[in-house]
Amino acid sequence: MAASSTTSSVYLHVIEDVINKVRDEFVNNGGPGEDVLGELQGMWETKMMQAGVILGPADRSAAAKNVPGGSVPPVHDLNVPYEGTEEYETPTAEILFPPTPLQTPIQTPLPSSVDNSMYNIPTGTPSDYPTPLNDSVGNSGSSTEAKAGRPNPYMQPPSPWMAPRTPVDVNVAYVEGRDEVDRGTSHQPLTQDFFTVSSGKRKREDFSGQYQNGQHIPQQDGAVDPAPEAYQGMESPLPVRPEAANTLSIEKGSKLKIPQVDGPIPDPYDEMLSTPNIYNYQGVVTEDYNIANTPAPNELQAGTPAGGIHADVGDEDDDDEPPLNENDDDDLDDVDQGEELNTQHLVLAQFDKVTRTKSRWKCTLKDGIMHINNKDILFNKATGEFDF
Amino acid sequence: MATFELYRRSTIGMCLTETLDEMVQNGTLTPELAIQVLVQFDKSMTDALESQVKSKVSIKGHLHTYRFCDNVWTFILQDAMFKYDDGQENVGRVKIVACDSKLLTQ
Repeated sequence: MAASSTTSSVYLHVIEDVINKVRDEFVNNGGPGEDVLGELQGMWETKMMQAGVILGPADRSAAAKNVPGGSVPPVHDLNVPYEGTEEYETPTAEILFPPTPLQTPIQTPLPSSVDNSMYNIPTGTPSDYPTPLNDSVGNSGSSTEAKAGRPNPYMQPPSPWMAPRTPVDVNVAYVEGRDEVDRGTSHQPLTQDFFTVSSGKRKREDFSGQYQNGQHIPQQDGAVDPAPEAYQGMESPLPVRPEAANTLSIEKGSKLKIPQVDGPIPDPYDEMLSTPNIYNYQGVVTEDYNIANTPAPNELQAGTPAGGIHADVGDEDDDDEPPLNENDDDDLDDVDQGEELNTQHLVLAQFDKVTRTKSRWKCTLKDGIMHINNKDILFNKATGEFDF
Repeated sequence: MATFELYRRSTIGMCLTETLDEMVQNGTLTPELAIQVLVQFDKSMTDALESQVKSKVSIKGHLHTYRFCDNVWTFILQDAMFKYDDGQENVGRVKIVACDSKLLTQ
């Protein structure tokens, strides 16, 4: 169906690789044993077949083709518990991202809830398997009930496990040196990345992280200015993120130099999310965002962020977008809506280079997974050319 | 070795996460072991993409939103066209999330 042979084989390879490399952990040191490992592999592969992204291992390929993602194939791994399939048919969408995951550990997202919100394709790709794409909302009540009714002896260790499901996770994935021991504790603060004090794990960002915290805590003693000065002095030797440095300089500029005449100062949180440095350019022909760690250009322009915005927008031919100003969070709302209502066509990759010339963006990506039109496509390299 | 958790949002990663969720919930697995499996997945997926995938893709589209935060680029494209070896896909709206590849090699 949706699986290309290469994607399928790479996925199967990854499954094998993971299973083989965690075998020690399962078998030794009082682990749950080989059977549980087999169960894990069986359930994983079953879900992949149900999602239509693998054709099934050799001994199951026939079944997978005949009943793509349908009920349990006849030649099925007996290690797979029935409830896996059952849950696929009675999904809940409401608990994909539990509102307060730290306090409600029981609401682990159900399998098909993810399917629904992430990959629910409204464009009408015919679904020939019963993973319910449309009736999840109607069913959510009953299945939640069923789920909650199940005795659950493992409710106690709640959040380290819940945390990986939060979307913020992806944005902090680069943190280096984080090992399994760290992971459990570091996830919890990361889910509130922008609001809480640095967890201490983010080595590369300690400085910018502290600065952000300084921004978000209501300033009550009026001592905000010296801190940015200190950080600016340290910018070049340190890998401070460019937009953090930029936010810093804008904030400083607007407070020290430019009287604010066009409305309230934007909420620092919005400002950070909207990466203000992208609005600041003053006709610079090309910007290479890969060398953006040098904050000099942004500092020079930091004094007039608002003016740059309007000037730029005037040149654009976008007629469906409002002028960009401090209401930047509109975009975010828009995005959130899109994610809820729309299919999530998604590309996950690593970027080598992102550049912009006027409104023309170019990027080179590598090692990507795309989920497009219900197909999973892998790529080694990708080039993107976008008009903004 | 540094890894990205980025790929956990892919189909294969979500399927694994769901499986681990269920097994932790019904007591088959400890959360710690489940996380170890996820970390191994991060490594294996990254390795497989590097070593086994050779295809190239070209992406064109209208850039609706761009964002660079925490070393992650996020692009939201409208009317995007994806050309790859086996064909072409068009989508009305797609999100691209990309981590900095240099962070893996450091």
